Amino acid sequence: MSYSAIQILLVFIVAFIVAIDQFDLLECLYQPIVTGAIIGAILGDLHTGLIVGGTYQLMTIGNMPVGGAQPPNAVIGGIMATVFAISSGLDTTAAVGLAVPFALIGQYMVTILFTVMSPVMSVADKLAEKGDTKGIVRLNYAAMAALGLVFAIVCVAGLLGGAALGETLTAVSEKYSWFMNGLSAAGGMMRFVGFAILLRIMLSNDFWGIYFAGFALATIIGYIPELAGSALILIAFVGAALALYDYQTRCAMKAAGVGSSNGGDEDGI
Amino acid sequence: MASNATQYNNLTPAQPLDKKTLNKMVWRSLNLQGSFNYERMQAAGWLYSILPGLEKIHGDNEEDLKTSMQHNLEFFNTHPFLVTFVMGIILSLEQQKADINTIRAVRVAAMGPLGGIGDAIFWFTLVPITAGITANMAIQGSIAGPILFLLIFNAVQFGVRFWLMHWSYNLGTKAIELLTSNAKEFTRAASMLGVFIVGALTSNYGGTTVALTIENGESPIVIQSILDGVLPKMIPLAITLGLFFLLKKKGWSPVKCILLLLVIGLVGAFFGIF
Repeated sequence: MSYSAIQILLVFIVAFIVAIDQFDLLECLYQPIVTGAIIGAILGDLHTGLIVGGTYQLMTIGNMPVGGAQPPNAVIGGIMATVFAISSGLDTTAAVGLAVPFALIGQYMVTILFTVMSPVMSVADKLAEKGDTKGIVRLNYAAMAALGLVFAIVCVAGLLGGAALGETLTAVSEKYSWFMNGLSAAGGMMRFVGFAILLRIMLSNDFWGIYFAGFALATIIGYIPELAGSALILIAFVGAALALYDYQTRCAMKAAGVGSSNGGDEDGI
Repeated sequence: MASNATQYNNLTPAQPLDKKTLNKMVWRSLNLQGSFNYERMQAAGWLYSILPGLEKIHGDNEEDLKTSMQHNLEFFNTHPFLVTFVMGIILSLEQQKADINTIRAVRVAAMGPLGGIGDAIFWFTLVPITAGITANMAIQGSIAGPILFLLIFNAVQFGVRFWLMHWSYNLGTKAIELLTSNAKEFTRAASMLGVFIVGALTSNYGGTTVALTIENGESPIVIQSILDGVLPKMIPLAITLGLFFLLKKKGWSPVKCILLLLVIGLVGAFFGIF
């Protein structure tokens, strides 16, 4: 099946937009039920697009990006499954199977981009130091455009290269799987830098016990699968109780005049 | 790097933000994850989202705007659909020129629990139900499937975003009057809650494990389960404390820390540690 230049351009634009949409914009255009219909309409077979999109949607319902985990990318998966179903006349299951290598590449793209964007945060720091508000805006849009661009390129490559490209990609990704493993391991650790920066500022010496208490409670709750969704709410309840108790105690102490010797000049806000 | 200022230069409360600015920030909040990354997650997107408000609040003092921009670039991660709740509260504190440590602590304390609530509302309830029904319509070949899905999802999304923004901004403005009388005590309590939450996040977000096993006939020794026997989530805790040490005592920059982790990740993966 050959495609006209306009069809290729439209697929490129759709892929660009929904790739950004998976994290930003309306955060729902990327769902296979939507992309299936759009890609189907572009390739001249809306009916197949609807069926593939709907089927893929039901398959991904248990596969949400919960808690920041990166499942094989449903954005590229949905688009490529529709492409293969229409171009090769395959049933949905077979088309989804052919789309898997592309979904995996999509997942890799996201991992690489999130890794690359980490050191870029020091650029953002410099912009903030200078009070460059436009620079911060530009930085965000540039990152979004980069995400859209890599996804659009992969989708168009898949559209033109077909399932054969998928096989090549699988072979390449197996060869370099250690590299991707390393990148996602490093990516998983980078959030600790963010935590350490917060602690550097917030953690005075008398709060060490509080830090470990929060860690301990989260670890205990983490071992109860039924509480996976509500863990942080429960933790916040306990933390709020501690903080509120401390607040009330200190307010009472202040009212009673304990330690009033250093209270005077700091209260004058 | 965050500046070490603890107070704004101009401590006179700014004019309350008008509805138009608040609404503008609701629209910006759609792109909260625009520059998502593994180090600070939504931090730069968070700053981008609240910038219109910060520019109004600190419009008369350039130094304060810089200070505010810097501390609002620290680690931030919350549920993208509920972020306007945190935005409203933080903007009300910024407008009242609250202590920077207070703003930071409230931000950290508010962002954590929202993740679980948002996942429960959107990913576990709204999407499975609407997508489940509309996907079957699409499989029947009906174009109403995707259209209905988009309509329902966005009606809920925008309702929640706008309502939370205005509600929490008003809430914060009212609460602050109660708090200024005991500002020092409040900052301490909020920091306590913040540190408690960061401790919890260290475990809750910490997925780093090792895949090492030692050959031992029919029962190979799995290093990770030995570590879990000593202290579960030991590796996330150790890395966080190690980085804290490097940042605070050795004066390392965040970029240097990231490069170190990149090397550890790649070398470790090459030798099959991860």
